[in-house]
Amino acid sequence: MTEKKPFKTAELMKEMMKGYYRDGAHAKENGIPVVWVTAVSPVEIIYAAGLFPYYPENFGAVAAAKRVADKLSQVAESKGYAHDLCGYARCGIGDAYSEEHPVGEIVKPDITMVCNTQCGSLSKWFEVASRFYKVPHFVLDAPQIGNEPEELVTQYFIEQLYELISFLEEVTGKPYDYDRLNEVLKLSSEACRLWNEVLETAALEPAPFGFFDACFHMAPIVTMRGTQQAVDYYRALKEELDERIKQGIPAIPNERFKLYFDHIPHWPKLRWFSELFASRDALVAVSQYTHSWAYDFDLSRPIESLAEQYTEEFVNRFFDYRIELKKRLMEKYDVDGFVLFSNRSCKPNAFGLYDKRKIITEETGIPGVVFESDMSDLRFFSEEQIVDKLEPFFEQLEAGKES
Amino acid sequence: MSSELLNTFKTAAENYDEDVQQWKKTVGGKAIGFLLTDVPEELIHAAGFFPFGISGGDTRMDMADAHLQFWACSFVRSSLAMALEGKLDFLDGLIIPHTCDTTRMVLGIWKHAKPLSLMDNFRIPKQVERPSAQKYLVGEISRLKKLLEDFRGSEITDEELWQSIKLYNSNRELLRKLFFLHEKNPNLLGNRNLYTIIKSSMVISREKLNKLLQELLNSLEKEEETSSPGNHKSRIVISGTLLEPMEILDFFEESGGVIVADDLKNGFRYIESDVPEKSDPIEALAERQRSRIPSAAYDNNNNPRRDFLVNLAKEKKADGVILLHLKYCEPENYDYYDNYLALEAAGIPAMRIETEFGGVALGQLRTRVQAFMEMVGGGGSD
Repeated sequence: MTEKKPFKTAELMKEMMKGYYRDGAHAKENGIPVVWVTAVSPVEIIYAAGLFPYYPENFGAVAAAKRVADKLSQVAESKGYAHDLCGYARCGIGDAYSEEHPVGEIVKPDITMVCNTQCGSLSKWFEVASRFYKVPHFVLDAPQIGNEPEELVTQYFIEQLYELISFLEEVTGKPYDYDRLNEVLKLSSEACRLWNEVLETAALEPAPFGFFDACFHMAPIVTMRGTQQAVDYYRALKEELDERIKQGIPAIPNERFKLYFDHIPHWPKLRWFSELFASRDALVAVSQYTHSWAYDFDLSRPIESLAEQYTEEFVNRFFDYRIELKKRLMEKYDVDGFVLFSNRSCKPNAFGLYDKRKIITEETGIPGVVFESDMSDLRFFSEEQIVDKLEPFFEQLEAGKES
Repeated sequence: MSSELLNTFKTAAENYDEDVQQWKKTVGGKAIGFLLTDVPEELIHAAGFFPFGISGGDTRMDMADAHLQFWACSFVRSSLAMALEGKLDFLDGLIIPHTCDTTRMVLGIWKHAKPLSLMDNFRIPKQVERPSAQKYLVGEISRLKKLLEDFRGSEITDEELWQSIKLYNSNRELLRKLFFLHEKNPNLLGNRNLYTIIKSSMVISREKLNKLLQELLNSLEKEEETSSPGNHKSRIVISGTLLEPMEILDFFEESGGVIVADDLKNGFRYIESDVPEKSDPIEALAERQRSRIPSAAYDNNNNPRRDFLVNLAKEKKADGVILLHLKYCEPENYDYYDNYLALEAAGIPAMRIETEFGGVALGQLRTRVQAFMEMVGGGGSD
């Protein structure tokens, strides 16, 4: 297969992320407290407080991509943390207890702030971290909701955001800057809007951009939304995509199928997966995962808006809502099939996939498949098993085209 | 006298559906199941329904395979499998406390695989110390109340709710008396009987339970006068999610170990705290939930479970603590190492034993228990 022409913006991102990690590493000496945050949490509050938000999940993903997750995990396992816990957590805890740091040391927190929209695993990991590093800990609790937003949950979250702000004021000794919060929200909304536009190009036929590209380009929307840099980055990426559309440069050489994918990418084998699907002319076009960062804040009511946007995010929704969301995305991107990743590292996203596959196919007629592995740890990866699972699925896709 | 009563409890725990089926036939009421045990059962009872605790275990685990991965905890897997196998067909509803990611996700699976008229999560707050937690919890309990009211077709009055709260408080008080009696004189009941009674209390009608417990206490108190407490036993604390398998209790007994305390969902944690009988009943139910024995299910940083365990072990003059780990239980696993370190630092012997519902090799388990008992200087018998 011919090598795809790399995105110009990819270089820009590498520089940006390098800068982000440099800032993190130097934050302490510059007197800026480091706050550990989770991916789907109101990081805007932290940016507006002038603190440095650090994503240990990202550390886990990097360790996974560099294929050292099992090494870090084994250090955690030697302390009694089982290999069936979240792979990111095992990497983080492993790094804390490890003498060796194959992907550099994790940036140590001054505060840990966990929002449990995504799962309970992150909450427990952050608790462990706050005890290990002996730093103050804050839980933003988001009870899961169904199809409709719930006043009870929104109000609870609003109240907690004020509790968080008081907590930050106490820890930093500075009054909270609400004007700054408005600016940050504006930047965050703009970056999210651009990110969404980028993702939507995957609906074009052929598409210039797909899920595996999104996995590569998502770091800034996760870590830096709320900064001007993230806005500039996605503007540049969007321009580059527009240019590629004009020139007719597709994401994969011969797109005949579009697929939906759940959920977190398989980091250590990302390239293998991407080439496997491309070799079958299938573009993995869309995933609820990459669509997680699509916030649109109402600047006239910032705190309320933060509460709504974060508690109503799909990761905080019940089973049936998630089925509907998947179906909506499948329809919008006009996919020919869907692939669901039963990820041992991520119980809340893996549990229910067997039934969801069945229900979605029954309701839409779209073929789907579930495969088993782990997003970070190659000890749970079997190329053969996955190919065996996917082969009949690819045949179904082909049969669908012929009929 | 007491042996006959003990047999009643044992039979109730084994034939878990007998009392509820009988009750349904006589009263014509509905039964609402719950997963253990962070659920305000008093509300279910006040609505006139039979609160039924699903203890898992009695099933072929592979029944769940098509719906739930094998690396989900065996308690939830076996509970779901029981439903799929038709062993819970007497239930009209189900309330699952959101205590972990598995209990959070299994509701949707269960709803599709084995639908019941009323099914919901009880979404406990994951932080219990800030003012927002109490307010939210009052709202969540009120939501549950409304759900039950809609199901029965009329409002639950405060009077009904207070009556149920009082009944439950007295259940718990009697169960605690038994627990403390066991601690004082371990020869009277034995580990296995004590925990079997707690288990059966989740499947016997609450009114009947009070009578049985009172009778048992009366007869045990009489027996106590003539029996010797036998002070040679080692005092053991069990910490974990759920007690399983029950045989582990016998293994301690054989090695001269008496269980004097625990923080288990189906152990002392279930009966430890009462609903304060003051102010508003919903506020009171919320207060109880927030002040229960710390569990891995919610924030343990400001609510330090490890300190609780160390204090408990000291207070109970325990010779050792067993950290009973339910395989694939994430929250418990994240707590384990720090709990272990805290106990170690306090000079309290501790050991982790991993178990699961179905498929535990009892011979190995016995050997593990014996090894621990030797370590803490047990092995002595009366």
